[in-house]
Amino acid sequence: MVRSALWHLFRTGLAVWVLASVVFLLSYRSLNATTELVLPDTTDLATTTTAVARRAAQQAIRQRLGLDLPLFYIGRNDGNGWHWNGQHNQYHRWAGRLLHGDLGTSFRTGQAVSSQLGTALAYTLPLTGTAAVLAVLGALGLAQRLATRPWWHRAGRGILLGLHALPLFVVALALLLLLANPEMLAWFPTYGLDDAADEQLDATTQFVRYIWHLVLPVAALTLSALPDFTLQLEAALTQELRAGYAITARAKGLSEQGIIRNHVLRNALLPTLTQVAQLLPALVAGAVVVEVVFALPGMGRLLAEAAANRDFPILVGGVLLTGLARLLALLLADLLYLWADPRIRWQS
Amino acid sequence: MGRPSYPLAVLIFSRSWPQRIALGWLSVVLLTAALAPVLPLPYLPNVPDLSQVSQPPFSIGKHWLGTDSQGLDILSQLVFGARTAVALTLPATVMAALLGAIAGGAAGFWLNQSRLAAPYWLLLVACVWWALSLPWPWLVLVGAAAASGCLLAIAKWRQRPLPAWRLPLDSIVMAIATTLDTIPRLILVVAIAAGTSVAIQGMLLLLALTSWPQPARLVRAQMLRVRVLPFVEAARATGFSPGRVWLWHALPHAVQPLRAAFPLSMAGLLGLESTLSFLGIGLPPNVASWGRLLAGIRHDQSAWWIAFFPCLCLITSILSLYILSRHQSSQP
Repeated sequence: MVRSALWHLFRTGLAVWVLASVVFLLSYRSLNATTELVLPDTTDLATTTTAVARRAAQQAIRQRLGLDLPLFYIGRNDGNGWHWNGQHNQYHRWAGRLLHGDLGTSFRTGQAVSSQLGTALAYTLPLTGTAAVLAVLGALGLAQRLATRPWWHRAGRGILLGLHALPLFVVALALLLLLANPEMLAWFPTYGLDDAADEQLDATTQFVRYIWHLVLPVAALTLSALPDFTLQLEAALTQELRAGYAITARAKGLSEQGIIRNHVLRNALLPTLTQVAQLLPALVAGAVVVEVVFALPGMGRLLAEAAANRDFPILVGGVLLTGLARLLALLLADLLYLWADPRIRWQS
Repeated sequence: MGRPSYPLAVLIFSRSWPQRIALGWLSVVLLTAALAPVLPLPYLPNVPDLSQVSQPPFSIGKHWLGTDSQGLDILSQLVFGARTAVALTLPATVMAALLGAIAGGAAGFWLNQSRLAAPYWLLLVACVWWALSLPWPWLVLVGAAAASGCLLAIAKWRQRPLPAWRLPLDSIVMAIATTLDTIPRLILVVAIAAGTSVAIQGMLLLLALTSWPQPARLVRAQMLRVRVLPFVEAARATGFSPGRVWLWHALPHAVQPLRAAFPLSMAGLLGLESTLSFLGIGLPPNVASWGRLLAGIRHDQSAWWIAFFPCLCLITSILSLYILSRHQSSQP
């Protein structure tokens, strides 16, 4: 058990490293566009200075950002042919710094990537964490109800399937336009967290406002994660309810709810636990959409803006962080397996 | 493949009403996409009409579905957005399914046990050599061909089988698929699309290359079941080469799960494409798209028509694809 869990983690870590490297190598290829974006005043400079001076300025920026080195260990000359660059290259430097926990500095703001990601995570973690907990709890409750085949079984499944089909940004936009729109129902604030961080208010009011701003984003994320879980768990419950021990329990005179809660649920949970490993990375991806729609200053919006501005250190950092979320989720899933299935505990 | 081809009438009339409506809507979208340049639209999608900004639908003028805050006509953007959606998602889904079927089918059929004869290895190395343009590419190609010829001649002369090395096909395919699945597709595409400023072809390739693992897993799982069935053994026993058994006997049965998965995977790609253009990443800004149109609502919240019509199109298309997929999977 421990060995297989470790092997899982190692494999996923390796995959994350490979993906981050691929993104790094692909993105750092397009240097010209990057330096032009970093140097926003090039157009002003162009009118006053000569082309030579401009090229010199671009060269200086490349040197400052470390883009003047060759990209990888082996590289291609302008003439046809390959040559060895040695350890003095961008990839080696990036990887070495990464092993020391340094993600580099942002092209755009010049701040350290890790501090920027950290600030953004302070907004994103409450959002995604709450959504994850709510989605899991909601799925547990809803699937148990659905499995007893109430009169709204068909309708409920239909709604869940429809919700599952919709892209997240459509759900988020619909919530925004219906519940935070002065033209329809202005129950919730629309944009950002600006007036929640007002200095003049006392702590309680600030907290209440903060929660108030988070209601709609959390609702959108939860609604996007809920159907997948619920449908899977409901299918597993229905399957298990046909098993012999469920029939015995029914013959004992237990209520359907009692059978599900005390006998069936734990067995049906096992296949669903694998989905936990998908949940955390998926929520990070969902945060990209939700934070852009609701203009929250979190990690998702940081990534989306970095992608629009070609701020590659932040993008690579985001990929690594998502991979980290994946690793954590795998660990969590393995631990949950250990809790849910005594057979695994006995073997280890 | 493997099933009788129904006439078109049976294809349409053997279905329930929701499926007929779904098929009808999807054909409308397809036709609109194909005919977009010749449709008699009163306005072009990228030409702003600054005299009529943020007009509600069915008002004066010829903007039937209104205009957005930049004076762009909603109807023509919808039509050309359908063109973008079809031009992007349909080929990407087909490419992903093909790639997945080939990779997953091969991985499931040969597992890690296939042996590749030495001449193939030599040719492979030579091809890689040539593709990387290492020194003397032609010399290496010719050398590899000559060496393969020598090996073949020796094998024939001594009447021995060619030397062969094992190719861990299954491990390779599954490792790549797992690697791609580690990070959510949205994050991966966003990260890569930002670096390589892509046109529609690049986007197509990117979407196909990031979404083949799912069909590959399906086909591989089915192939594991199919490869031990009696008819495959019978085909082997008749002396067909493994490649022929794979392509003509095993693969047509192994790709059956894709029939139900194809519309679903297309719906997923449609959602991904519109999400990307909603975020303003990937496609250049002058390409009309439903997602980009929807993003306009954030500048002007009172203009409900900017969000309503593209949302309607998107939701109807995705739900239609889901309904079609359910029909496919409920068939025996």
